[in-house]
Amino acid sequence: MRLTNRRTQHGEKIELSMTSMIDVVFLLLIFFMTTASFVKTERQLDSNIKNQDSSSASASDLEPAIVDIVESGGRFVFRVGARDVQDSGELTRILRQFPSKLDGAYVKVSDEAPFGMVAAAIQACKDADFTIVTYVPPK
Amino acid sequence: MDMTPMIDIVFLLIIFFMTVTQVSKVNKEQLDLAKQKGSQDQQTATITINVTEAGQYVIAGNTVTLPRLVSLVSQELSALGGDATRLKVTVRTDQRGISRHTNEVMKALSRIGVLRVNNAVESPQ
Repeated sequence: MRLTNRRTQHGEKIELSMTSMIDVVFLLLIFFMTTASFVKTERQLDSNIKNQDSSSASASDLEPAIVDIVESGGRFVFRVGARDVQDSGELTRILRQFPSKLDGAYVKVSDEAPFGMVAAAIQACKDADFTIVTYVPPK
Repeated sequence: MDMTPMIDIVFLLIIFFMTVTQVSKVNKEQLDLAKQKGSQDQQTATITINVTEAGQYVIAGNTVTLPRLVSLVSQELSALGGDATRLKVTVRTDQRGISRHTNEVMKALSRIGVLRVNNAVESPQ
């Protein structure tokens, strides 16, 4: 028995109508083109949380790296000790100078600080090899 | 008319759009996340808290109040036997907003014993 008959017993040629398939295929194409939204790659910055009102203190709290995000001269800056910096790259360079990275870094976030700067501060701490970064909201 | 090349291209386009189309992610709001490289790849979170630019808290597509948010996290925590280390909380904050609302979330989480969170960022292109 031949499976690939191109002609029927009566010798008529079989014609496959493509119209309905093309209709469906175009419909699917238009659907996917209109609904497509490209996935943006998300990553994460892990941090601990510490309340400022918590009274627990440990030996490692003596001289930790503290990044304050404060308003200075009408704009928000990163404050490390007495130094104010605006650029997160410079903040990373300052944080790298801290001798002990094991004590972790603290990012103190004021309520009015833009969150973009908070993320930049945590990122700078991570880039400076602080494995533990603590998010400190105000009281 | 030979339709074969056209059908080839159309099928190729369909496959392309099917593969790049984002599968509906109910727990992720459309936010402008901070453009940072992050410290690690994002893990599957137990609970994802979205903080919009306007300061609204959105969980799984529903806008919730802070007490309701705390209640939801507490429920998840109870379901995990109260072990906060097993609870993976991802906070997605719109970078254009101020930090007050995120601070409120952080304070509320720490009060119920959740002392570790993941802040979502978007890899810069």
